[in-house]
Formats: sequence, structure tokens, C-alpha cells
Amino acid sequence: MRRLSHLLVGLFAAAALLLSADDAAERMKKLEKLIDPDTAEVLKRINAVDAYTVPDLKLKREENFAKTASDIEPYSGVKPYKEHFLIPIEYAGPGRALPEPGAELKTVKIGFIGPIQNLPSVATGGMGHEASLGRMMLKGAQMAIDETNEGGGYLRRGIPFELKVVNDNGLWGSSGNEITNMAYKDPVWAILGTIDGANSHIAIRVALKAEMLMMNSGDTDPTFTETNIPWTARCIGDDRQMGYLMADYLFRKMGYKRVALIRSSNRFGRFGIREVRDTARRLGRPVLIEMAYKVGAEDLSMQVERLQATNPDAVVHWGDARESAVVLNTMRKLGMKQPYFTNDRTVSEEFTKLAGENAEGVISAYPWDPSRKDPKLDAFRERFRKKFGEEPETYAAHGYDGMNMLIWATQVGGLNKAKIRDLIAYRTKPWPGVTGDIPLSSTLDDLGEVFLAKFENGKWGFHSREEWQIPSGYIPPRSRVARGLESAASEPPK
Amino acid sequence: MMRTRTFLTKFAALAPLLAAMLLGTCWAQAQATKKLPYIYTKWKNFSVADGLPSDHIFSVKADGDRVWIGTEGGLAMYNKTTGKMKSWTTKDGLPWPAITGIDIDKTTGDVWLALFGGGIARFSGGRFDHYHQMNSGLVNDVVYGIAVEHDNIWAATTAGSSRFNKVSGEWTIFTEKNAPMEEIWNYNVSYNGKGTVYLAVWGSGVLEYKIADGSWKEYLDPDGEMEIDLYRDDGLVHVITTAVAPAGEGFFVSTYFGASRYDGRHWRGYYNMDSGTPSDFMNSVKARSTDEAWFSTDKGLGVLTDFDSNTWITYRMDPKTHHGKATVYKDREVLEEVETETGIPHNYIIYTELDGNDVWIGTAKGLAWGKGGDYYPRLRERGAVSGNLAAAPTVVAKGGK
Repeated sequence: MRRLSHLLVGLFAAAALLLSADDAAERMKKLEKLIDPDTAEVLKRINAVDAYTVPDLKLKREENFAKTASDIEPYSGVKPYKEHFLIPIEYAGPGRALPEPGAELKTVKIGFIGPIQNLPSVATGGMGHEASLGRMMLKGAQMAIDETNEGGGYLRRGIPFELKVVNDNGLWGSSGNEITNMAYKDPVWAILGTIDGANSHIAIRVALKAEMLMMNSGDTDPTFTETNIPWTARCIGDDRQMGYLMADYLFRKMGYKRVALIRSSNRFGRFGIREVRDTARRLGRPVLIEMAYKVGAEDLSMQVERLQATNPDAVVHWGDARESAVVLNTMRKLGMKQPYFTNDRTVSEEFTKLAGENAEGVISAYPWDPSRKDPKLDAFRERFRKKFGEEPETYAAHGYDGMNMLIWATQVGGLNKAKIRDLIAYRTKPWPGVTGDIPLSSTLDDLGEVFLAKFENGKWGFHSREEWQIPSGYIPPRSRVARGLESAASEPPK
Repeated sequence: MMRTRTFLTKFAALAPLLAAMLLGTCWAQAQATKKLPYIYTKWKNFSVADGLPSDHIFSVKADGDRVWIGTEGGLAMYNKTTGKMKSWTTKDGLPWPAITGIDIDKTTGDVWLALFGGGIARFSGGRFDHYHQMNSGLVNDVVYGIAVEHDNIWAATTAGSSRFNKVSGEWTIFTEKNAPMEEIWNYNVSYNGKGTVYLAVWGSGVLEYKIADGSWKEYLDPDGEMEIDLYRDDGLVHVITTAVAPAGEGFFVSTYFGASRYDGRHWRGYYNMDSGTPSDFMNSVKARSTDEAWFSTDKGLGVLTDFDSNTWITYRMDPKTHHGKATVYKDREVLEEVETETGIPHNYIIYTELDGNDVWIGTAKGLAWGKGGDYYPRLRERGAVSGNLAAAPTVVAKGGK
């Protein structure tokens, strides 16, 4: 009997070992599939350096900042002394040589910071108002983590990923405190977040000092990546790209000459509308007026009356969905029939519910095309609906993509913050996300295609530049310092 | 005929040697008369093996014989006389491990610490007093810099600046509500000892606060654009500033986009493409005078040693040999290269502290003490650099880049 029990134990142990070996082999196969030849080369080079050497990696060199047409460049009549952001900032520190943690590690923690609870916030200028967006972003991120864990977790060790979730929308710039906690108290390997521009800027400065990659999937503030911080990346089209497309539609396609602006008085509105305003001026059609309102205001009649007094051809709004509806409804109530243009946050149920019939014909800038025919997107939608019982919107989809990018970089680079950064920074191919291809620029910003959404017959339709034949200005293939004073009127160099 | 051939053959063989001797003599004469800056050649490095709590150095403050070192893992104090290092971590009562700034209250000897995520702390008589958002008027716990000004302690935080009066106990908060901060993301603070406090504010350039009347003045990038610097010398090179070093009636500024010098009337911008700075990514700056400023960059130490001639020295560590290398530039022309047995311990420089003729360099992997016993300011006629050299100094071709 005793012999038999020993035999059984031995058999179980052998079976467990075999299963474990099979499991490890299976995981390694999965890991290999994540590494294409370009990635393998990056990996080889970053793994070869010690604490003192900066790896010899080919830096992306761009000849044009953010695909900006020459006639809308700032000070386009002057050759600037220096042009930034054409070459990525390297990380030159010793982080790549840090040893990985030992076998005691039970989970691989990835941070999530976002507005998941509305609290009073100095940084955002009053009561937080983005929790509904943040909670969707969290669902997308959580789904990416859960799916990865179902597929074997962190493949090198067979341990699960864990999402460490914190709220960013607290008092007195608490997002900074939360990131330092994730650096020193309860360390994570990389962070996804956040939505509000002010909080994002606070967070990335901490990420820079603490040397952790911060992937952003919800803040469209153009200046977020225009900071020369080697530790930030973004996987959503920003307000610069959306502003360029909107302005091209307004001025180059429709030929509007008299445009009025209205925006929220926070950072989101101030920086979001900037490209539309500046482009208007640079194309010789300066906006008639730019009105600002306090976030949360119920009555915007004073601001809208001022717009009306300028007799504009069109009105452009930048702010949240609720205020977008308030502006539009006030316009229509005052008899203003001008076309209404607005930003991506308007594409929501909240807006269409509040705006009712007025929503018909509204055009919004949008960072992706959710109507795209893509089996990957359809499958994501189905899984999301099954898991959460609701439709994934833009924050959920981008949160899912951003978290998957971080997970991929962690799987491939290993448990090393600098290598996780390198994998994202030196990725040669666009990330094939559910939101579309995500090509990163030299500032690690998403330079993928953006769209215009039009509300017609009770639903949003999404339209590309090509589909609507929206012209662009001439985008020179050389940097401003290297070329002459070329303008849109000039012939492109032969 | 045969003799002539032999002579010619011997001459041909000796010609390169003679030419080299002639060139060497010319070089030596040129060196003897050339005006060149002082180069630090004597370096001592410190790491965790020497008692530092972490090799990642965020801040350094010299105070007589004592040098205080703020690291990512705790506080250390090096005694220059005894050569002993002492350290404190959270186990010893330090409220937070990462110390991004240090200043000394000269009237009491108290050491004030900026804690990156933990508020500020006073180290006095072996005890740490902790001030944070929940027990004081500190506006945010993410503190990047700290400066003592008379009875006041200034803290540059990620959500504004706070000023604590240690006598009255009063706290004052400076944000966009009461100061011209376009953004509230304070990154550093410094006091010029003459009635002016400077704030380096990320996204809001430099703010100057006059203590006498409480007035503010802001310095911004005149072109207002993130992606370009329109003109070199029209003002700050960029609004994303990392530190201000007072000098004379003006200051030097470090940014992640280059550097600026302001003398009270005129500006001068500096980039890697037009000066000896090894990189435009600058973590901080310290100034000895209006002529000399030390820029801590991610690719070495860039030292402007003479403003008038735009003469710089770049200090780097050779990653292969771990030797030090100092390169003297005039604009972008290389004048001299000197290799030393020891130099800075890593090229990612975070902080520089000037300590009389000596310098302390905090890097992402270790601390360096540069001994400048025979230091002289600006330029002087001198020959080859003597000192702790691993090899004879080499002068590279003129015009080399």
C-alpha cells in the first residue's frame, strides 16, 4: 500500500513536471510569435548594452512635424533657428541594466490612472466631469489584461498581469501623488492614463523622473507629447490632427470665411481649439470671436448671443458632450441656423439625447473610424458586449489598444522599464489596434488617420479625408531649417 | 652615387619623424600661448559600495565640510574631512525615499529636503519633521525643488509653489490664482541671495518674485510655439524649463530643449548645434558667475566656461574604458581633448553642485567629486593639462566636430 502511494505521488509529480514543461514550451511559442524580425533586432541591441552604454538603434527622423502643411506652420514666412521633435529623444540612462525581480514576483503590475470617480479638482478647474469616460477606458484596459491572462499571462514566467487602478481626479494635482506611489510604494512596470490634459502633464513629469513609460489613450491635448520626455507615448489621434482636418474642411473645402469659436475654459478647450483658430488666421480668415464658458454651466445664452452678433458662416465648439448640446440647443433656440462643428466628445449618447433633433447635421472631429469593416474590431465589440453588457466607445477601444501595446512591450522586453519603453519607442510598424493602425511619430504620438463624424438620420457616420475629398495644404518633405520658405502656393520641389 | 642614394633613403626614412617633431614643437608652442579654460582632472566617484543609499542621485548640497546627497533611495552625508559617508533611509525615519532637492538653513544648520511624492522634511538634530498636504499648507506632495530664503522655505511642487515661514508658521500658496503661472507645474526654485526668488515652471517659463514688494515678472518663449525656436536670442528658448541658476543681475536657465542666459537686458540661447553642450535635454543648471554655468544633460556635463568666447567643456565618461574625457569647444570647434583615469561615473547627469573650487556631479549611476584646487575662472594661457591623466593629453585637429 505504501509503495503504491509512493508510486502515485511519483507519477503525479512526473505528470506535473511534464505538464509544466509543456506549458512553458507553449508559452515560449506564443512569445516567439510576438517578435518580428525588426523587433528581434531592437531586442538584440537593447539586451547587449550595459548600464553605461546607449544602444545603437536607428532613430526615426522625420522631415515634417506632425504632417503640418507649410501654409499653416507658425511664422511660415520665417526660417526658424531650431525645429524640435523631428528626432526622438533617446533614453540615455542606466535602466536597461537593472536586474529583473526574482521568483518571488507573483504578478506583473501595470498601472492605470484615470478619472473613475468624480471629485473636486483644482487641476481640472472644478468638479471632475470625466468619470464616465475614464470608467470606459478602465473597462478596455481591464479587458486587455483579462484576455492576456486567459492566454497564459506573462509568458516568460507564467504569472498573471495585474491592473493597479487609481483615480486621477482628486484635489491639488493628486495624479502626481498617485504616480509617485506607483513608482515607489507599490511599483508597476508601466502606466496607462489619463484623460484630462492637466493631470496628464503632471503625471508624465513624474514618469520622467521615476523612469516609467506612460501610455496615453485618452488625452488629445497636442502638447502632451510635445515635451521631449522619452517616457511618454500616445495611441489616440490628438487635437492637432483633428484640428487640421476640421480646419481643412471648413476653409479649404467649404470655403467659410467667417467662423466663430466657443470652447470650455479649461485646458481641454483652450488647447483643443487652438489648431482651428491658428489655421484660420494663417489661411487669412481669422476667427470672428472665441468665447469661453465654465465647465458645468447650464446657461450659455450670453456666450451664444455674442456668437450670433458676429453673424458667422459656421460655429465650432470644443468641450464636453453636455456643453456641446447646450451650445447647439441655445443656437437653434436663438434662431441661428449655421452649421455646427465640434470635437470628438460630442459623439456620444449624452449629446444626441440632449440635442434631440438639433443633432441632425452636426459634424465632429473624431480620432478613428468605428464604422470600419474589420473582423478584429467586430470581435472586440462582441467580446466587450459579452463582458460588460454595453457597447465599447472610443475611450474603451483606445484603452484596450493602449494596454495591449504595454502588455506586448512587457512580454517582449521583459521586466525592465527601460526596455518596455524601447520596444514602444523603436517599434518600426504601426500597432494593429482595434481602433485602426497606430503609427507612432518621433514624439511617440499617434499619427494615424483621423476622421469627421456626421450625425445623419439619427446616427453617426464616419468620413475620411479621402472620402469627402478634403484638400490639404502642401506638406513639404524637408524640415523647416533645411528648406527654403516654401508655401502652399509654391510648386513642390521637383 | 651610392652614397647619395643612401642619404636619400635615410632621409626618406627619417622625414616623417622630423615632420612629427616639427609639428610637435609647433603644437607645444601653440598650446603654450593658447587661452584655455580650467579642466577638472581629479575625480573621485561614489556609489552604494561607498555607503550611498542608491546610485540614482537626484540632488546634492554642499555645506562646509559636509555634502548632502539626495538619492532615489534615501539621504546621505559625506564628510570631506573624515572621508566618511552616513546615510538615512525610511527605516531611519526619513519620511520618503526619493529626495529631489536639498537646501540648508544657514541660521540653524537645518537641512530641508524636497521629497518626490512625500512632501518636504526638515532634518534637525537627528530628527525628521515631515510636512505634507494633509498636515500643512504644502500645495502638493510631489516636490521637485526647495530653497531657503531668509525665514522662508520655498517648495516647488507639481501643483504650484508653497512658501513656509518657519518663524510664524504661515504657509502661502502660489498658483495661477495669485501668480502669473500659465501652468502651475513648478519644477524648481532658487534664491539669488539678493532679494529675488526664481521659479522654473514647466510650461510657464521662468517666474521672478521680488521679495521687497511681492511683485512677479514672467519670462516666456517669445514665439509661443512648442515645435520651433524662431530666433536664437529673443528670449527663453522654450517654456518647458527645468531649473534657474541666478547669476549677476540675471540667470541661466536649463530646459529639455536647450539653455538660455539672461543678463538683465540681453538673452542668449544655447543648443548642441551651436555650443559645447553635449545635449539639449538638460535636467538642471548651476552657475558660478555670469560667465560660467554647468548644465546637467542626459549625455554628459556641459560647462560654459567663458561667455564672451562661447568656450565650453564637455565632460563625459567613455562607456568602454570608464575613463573620463573632457573636450574643450569654442562654438562647435574642438580645441582640446583630455582623457583622465577617472571622470564622471555616468553620462546621464541629473544635478550639479558647486562647492568653492570643487564640483559635485549627481548622475543616474553614482556621484562624482571634482577637485579643483588650482581652479581659475574663464580662460588663461596655459600648456598641456597636468594632473591625474591616464594618457598624455591629445589635441585633435582644428575644426574637428
